[in-house]
Amino acid sequence: MTQHLGARRWTVTGLGLALTFSVAACGGNVGGGDSDADAADFPGGDPITILVGQDPGGSTDLIARALADGATEDLGVPVTVENRPGANGALAAQELAGEDPDGHTLMIYNGSLAYITPLAVPEDEAVSIDDYEIVTGISQDDYVLVTAPDSGFSTVEDLAAAGRPVTFGTTGVGTGSQLSQELLFAQAGIDATGVPFDGGSPTLTAVLGGQVDVGSIQLGEAIEQIEAGELTPIVTFAEERPSYLPDTPTAVEAGYDVPVQQSRAVFAPQGTPDEVLETLRSAFQTAFDSESYQQFNEDNQLTPNEIEGEELRERWNTNLEEYQAVVDEYGIDLGGDA
Amino acid sequence: MDLAPVIDGFGVVLEPTNLLYCLFGVVIGMLIGVLPGLGPAATIAILLPLTIGVEPVTAIIMLAGIFYGAQYGGTITSVLLRLPGEASSVVTVFDGHALARQGKAGTALGIAAIGSFVGGTVSIVALSLVAPLVAGFALDFGPPEYTALALLGILLVSTVSSGDRLKAVIAACVGLLLATVGRDGFTSAERFTFDNLQLADGLDFVPIAMGLFGLGEILYNLEERHRKVQAPAAVANVWPSRTDLRQSSGAIGRGSVIGFVLGILPGGGAVLSSLAAYAVEKRRAKDPSRFGQGAVEGVAAPETANNAAATSSFIPLLTLGIPANATMAVIFGALLIQGVSPGPQLVTQEPELFWGVINSMYIGNILLLIMSIPLVGLFVRILRVRATVLAPITVLITLVGVYTVNNSVFDIGLVIVFGVLGYLMKKLGFDPGPLVLAFVLGSLLEDSLRRSLLIFEGDATGFFTRPISGTLLVVFLVVALLPLVRGALARRRNRSDDRTDTTTPKELV
Repeated sequence: MTQHLGARRWTVTGLGLALTFSVAACGGNVGGGDSDADAADFPGGDPITILVGQDPGGSTDLIARALADGATEDLGVPVTVENRPGANGALAAQELAGEDPDGHTLMIYNGSLAYITPLAVPEDEAVSIDDYEIVTGISQDDYVLVTAPDSGFSTVEDLAAAGRPVTFGTTGVGTGSQLSQELLFAQAGIDATGVPFDGGSPTLTAVLGGQVDVGSIQLGEAIEQIEAGELTPIVTFAEERPSYLPDTPTAVEAGYDVPVQQSRAVFAPQGTPDEVLETLRSAFQTAFDSESYQQFNEDNQLTPNEIEGEELRERWNTNLEEYQAVVDEYGIDLGGDA
Repeated sequence: MDLAPVIDGFGVVLEPTNLLYCLFGVVIGMLIGVLPGLGPAATIAILLPLTIGVEPVTAIIMLAGIFYGAQYGGTITSVLLRLPGEASSVVTVFDGHALARQGKAGTALGIAAIGSFVGGTVSIVALSLVAPLVAGFALDFGPPEYTALALLGILLVSTVSSGDRLKAVIAACVGLLLATVGRDGFTSAERFTFDNLQLADGLDFVPIAMGLFGLGEILYNLEERHRKVQAPAAVANVWPSRTDLRQSSGAIGRGSVIGFVLGILPGGGAVLSSLAAYAVEKRRAKDPSRFGQGAVEGVAAPETANNAAATSSFIPLLTLGIPANATMAVIFGALLIQGVSPGPQLVTQEPELFWGVINSMYIGNILLLIMSIPLVGLFVRILRVRATVLAPITVLITLVGVYTVNNSVFDIGLVIVFGVLGYLMKKLGFDPGPLVLAFVLGSLLEDSLRRSLLIFEGDATGFFTRPISGTLLVVFLVVALLPLVRGALARRRNRSDDRTDTTTPKELV
């Protein structure tokens, strides 16, 4: 028994030490409160942290790291990326809301969290973008509807004429992949069943193997297979044909009003002073203008969307309203109790 | 077969960083193999956070090195001190220590090292040939196949594992329940999250593994009174004589095959295959009474088999994304941290990772063969490090480590909760292995089942009309029903035995 108690004491000591380390590691950000007093001095000497609500290695994470590199040079302080994966980014957003509004903690915010997730989760869990300041828009990612070449489908009409219910793979519930296809099939009057997978890569595999008839996947993840002829693109859900896939019609051209894109922006806590936002914006503009960042966009099939914060807020809110209206009109159910 | 990616894989291994991590891995593996208590699953779990900063292939090379390195290390203490460092070296104690008492410790260690090397190499070659074949079916593996595979995996894990079967089933059920925590991926309904966003994505695998295997095992070991370690017998003439080699060559051959086959099976792995290989040799021997008195085959067979199994258990993980045993489950977690989801696509999508890891095993085995014999004395000395020094350090590493994975204080709490659970399980005779495996396979099972039913439009007969899932489900039924049938047969035989007993009682007495 005494040994057991001893073990517990060690555990507690270990925890205490670990906590001490973690607090020490965050010290830089806590100290950032000083520069709050004089926003003109921003960023002072303190480092800046960009939160990412997704796992390391994903596209949001890569974008954050590409931007952090560019902004570091302009601001003259270290800009570091920290991943807080969970709940499609809601966890990171919650953390951002609790940070000091001094410009030293920012977040790469995904549009899907702003205008798609609220359609899928109960109202009290949805995060509202009105609780944040928006520094700048970043870029957009397009979704493309793909199928395996031997499925025999190559247009939306083919799917409608299949004479049987169609199965479609989505990258998850509350994602642009799900919304884009739900909207398309509802408008085209196609009897279709959605099968949610865990992200882009498993969805791609399922389409390649003919497990599902079609799937909506981010362009960057599918482009290699499309170019190799292993996947047939049917439509993209972009507003205009993306430059990376000029021969594939958009859903709008095909007669269905369903533009759905993944969009990303830099967010700051509510109450961040305007001067600070302005300094940050010009730092990110420098990053956007660099040749290496533009190459990065090209390599990842990203379309720049470097618009002002308020313009972006308006767009995202409009998206949410429009999607809400269509979803209501067709009685689409994205989640269980949405 | 296209050899270019295989050769590129060697290029990957021979990069200095990877060589260094391979060496690092096998040395750690040897060390923990020597130390009783901490097993490879626990060590890999504790060291998971170390791998975040490095390339995926480098990380897995190191972790794999720990796993098969431990199989070598475990032998040393079994032979010299009658103290198995690893569960997979328990049977080696019988003949290995007997040989040591006869002054032939060197022979036992030499045979074990050679056997391990041969077993490991045979398995790697087979792995190189089999894996691309399985990957050829990659695209045919859809949700129904994964459902069948996960079902079979959970069944085998909870019934084949050594130890109490009922307790294993209970542990597996707890694992399945834990897998249901989180926001449901199909309807986004909240399950057991208590309105806590930290739980929205479910329990993370890493803190569970680090808690159950790492912290739980450390806590449990603190209870054990430590035996005084005797100075080991002097080790001389490590090279086994030609007679010894001839005597054990058959055992090494059969051990390689047994280890390879049992390593692939979910729930099999190093422990089971070492037991099976020993049993086979004993049954085949002309004079079974030699076993336990210092038979060379009794060392060669299990040591060959456990190494072959350690290697072949990578097959289901790297080709299907199904971890076959607890250690593989932890390595599965490591791959996920690295953003690599193991599965049929791995060979074609990440050939460098796949072949890099496999080919590193050739190098690792050579390193182990070179190291294991001259360094025996050094490794034995490690046993003198007191648990009271080692334990707090390991606990500290565990807790700081788990924080660094997700930068989450919540995860530290989880490790502590699961550490206490792991301690209690060990104390009450439950193996945490089935729990962790069922946890990993549980979400795969549920998601795949629901996906399949969506695809089949609710018609469950679809599982049986697809060739691969149908076959797997038949195997599932056979495995599930076999013990029942065998039990019924045994009972009937007992009854007839009873009858003969009553008719001829005198003869029996």
